Amino acid sequence: MDVLQLAINGLALGAAYALVALGFVLILNATSAVNFAQGDLVAAGGFAAVAIAGLVPAPGIVLLPLVVMLMAAVGLVVCALAYWPLRDRPPVAVFISTIAVGIIIQNGLNGLFGAEPRTVPPVIAGGHLKVLGLVVAHQSLAIVAVAAILVTAVHIFLARTQAGRMMRATAQDRPVAAALGVPVAAMVALTFALAAALAGTAGLLLANQYFVTPTDGTNFIVKAYIAVVIGGWGRVGGALAGALLVALFETIVAAWAGHSVAMALLYGALLVILVVRPQGLFGEPVGRRA
Amino acid sequence: MNTSTPRRAVSALLIVVLSAAAALAASPRIPVLVPITGFLSLEGTAQRNGAVLALETPPAGVAVGYEVADTGTSPEVAVNAMERALRDEGVAAIVAPILGTQMLAMLPLAAEYEVPLVTISGTAKLTEMGNPWIFRFFPGDAVTKVAHGRFVVEELGARRPAILYQTTAYGQSGHGHLASTFRSFGVAAVYEEGLDVSVKDMTPVLTKAMNAGPDVLVLHLHSGPTALLVRQARALGITLPVVAGSAMHQPTTAALLEPAELRDVCAESGSSPVSGGSPEMERFVAAYRGRFGSEPDAFALAQYDATRMVLAALADGASSPHAVRDWLAAHDFAGLAMTYRSDGRGNMAHDAVIVCYDGKSRVPRIAKRYEGVDLAN
Repeated sequence: MDVLQLAINGLALGAAYALVALGFVLILNATSAVNFAQGDLVAAGGFAAVAIAGLVPAPGIVLLPLVVMLMAAVGLVVCALAYWPLRDRPPVAVFISTIAVGIIIQNGLNGLFGAEPRTVPPVIAGGHLKVLGLVVAHQSLAIVAVAAILVTAVHIFLARTQAGRMMRATAQDRPVAAALGVPVAAMVALTFALAAALAGTAGLLLANQYFVTPTDGTNFIVKAYIAVVIGGWGRVGGALAGALLVALFETIVAAWAGHSVAMALLYGALLVILVVRPQGLFGEPVGRRA
Repeated sequence: MNTSTPRRAVSALLIVVLSAAAALAASPRIPVLVPITGFLSLEGTAQRNGAVLALETPPAGVAVGYEVADTGTSPEVAVNAMERALRDEGVAAIVAPILGTQMLAMLPLAAEYEVPLVTISGTAKLTEMGNPWIFRFFPGDAVTKVAHGRFVVEELGARRPAILYQTTAYGQSGHGHLASTFRSFGVAAVYEEGLDVSVKDMTPVLTKAMNAGPDVLVLHLHSGPTALLVRQARALGITLPVVAGSAMHQPTTAALLEPAELRDVCAESGSSPVSGGSPEMERFVAAYRGRFGSEPDAFALAQYDATRMVLAALADGASSPHAVRDWLAAHDFAGLAMTYRSDGRGNMAHDAVIVCYDGKSRVPRIAKRYEGVDLAN
């Protein structure tokens, strides 16, 4: 029973991590560079929700579209500042510039909102269900549902729409895509906007149950990075599976061995994967790492 | 051989002391050096606000100047801020940061420049180094954790505590004192675990703790993790009493939780200004709200009291940093939170309170006072 209870909690956490990892992989594929500000965009999304909730007292589900739009705009700014001027430099330049953007976001949030943890309204009404002795918080169900809807929507967008196909073409081979008339710059900008919107959504979803502080981003980017390494560098489905595995590890293994030991085992497993199966559990479509 | 050297040294020292006294008599200053940015900005801002409120309302006949500098989170920034502050003459004392690592770096400088540091830092080592220039106005773990443990055993009658603490230096120090207090009552914790500050999902640790069959959850965590643990415990239907560390008394921590989630939650603290208790305390809370637009916590009140004690020394004629130090070391001072007196090592605060929430509001009531906790040992 305990394991089931833990799995339910882990699933909600994993669903939010999956949104972060998905945004991380989209930018990785589009630019071949690691966006280390992705975790800080999660915190920014949480604080965007805090700010909007101060103006519009409403459930999180009502705030969500506003947070998504605001964070998409933030993604465009990150693209313009941290990626576009450095697009022809080695990936390490973008890697460094996104770290810088992340630090600016952290300190900006600290200056604007202060260092104390903040919370936002629940996505739907608070409370919990009791099913067969298991306690399932409404918020956990809402996190899983919203994440599932968004992941499915992104999949349909990438697979079935012309814009999605152009984004994938840009990710696969930018010079060829440009030669075929794909507006590469717009596609890269769209990718940043989408990734930031996903991160912002994760921030809103997590901020009620887990609160948000300006320095939370570091934790999220580490989890996303591990998820992507486990799932296969650049593989979207792998990143989602990796995110769920990380979250289940954090809950179920932590309950068995304690959190410190669980984290040591998680990083140990990461090292083993890097040595034994560097392409990740699900294979690696992108051969170039930052 | 050269007998004039000691004379010259004594003369030079006299000149330094006399000129310091003269400068102080002209325009005493109390720089406020606290962490306004970084992970301790919440506590540092409370420190600043408490000090500024006291400095803006000095006793009759005392005119004092001050400036505020952000020490961030690194020792180097704190030392630079202190050296900048000491460039100008007339420093009577310094309001020094809550962050222990910064204080450790500033202590040698305080001894070199011979200027008192008044702080609310809880790092035990600060007052164990034989430096006569430090004065700590917030009760340390030797006071608060003893009160914490005594309340759990004596008032709640608990015999099977589960202790959850942070893996930071703050958490480990508090855990040590808690465990030792429980041992002194013949009580052994049925479960203990250290938590990293990044842990968001408390379900695993709660599951393990509950499997050990505790009769109370004893927390020594920072603000965010405390609120996370209380929220997730209540969401899992765990109704055990929770006795938390001082983070839970902070209005900003209580603001993260619904009043119903706070039922049967208590916390130790040096004081609880928002709980009121006297007309003077209520006037302080009203003045603080009016000036800063936020609720004061125990850190703000402790720094307010500390700064008022320095101002009382100036009002009583202390005309040099040496005189201020000697006055602080020798006098009792009736502050709003408690009566402060040095134990000979600069520990000024010896009382603690336990506050409890009733499940209907976010303002706790004081459930128990413990006075002179470490002085009685």
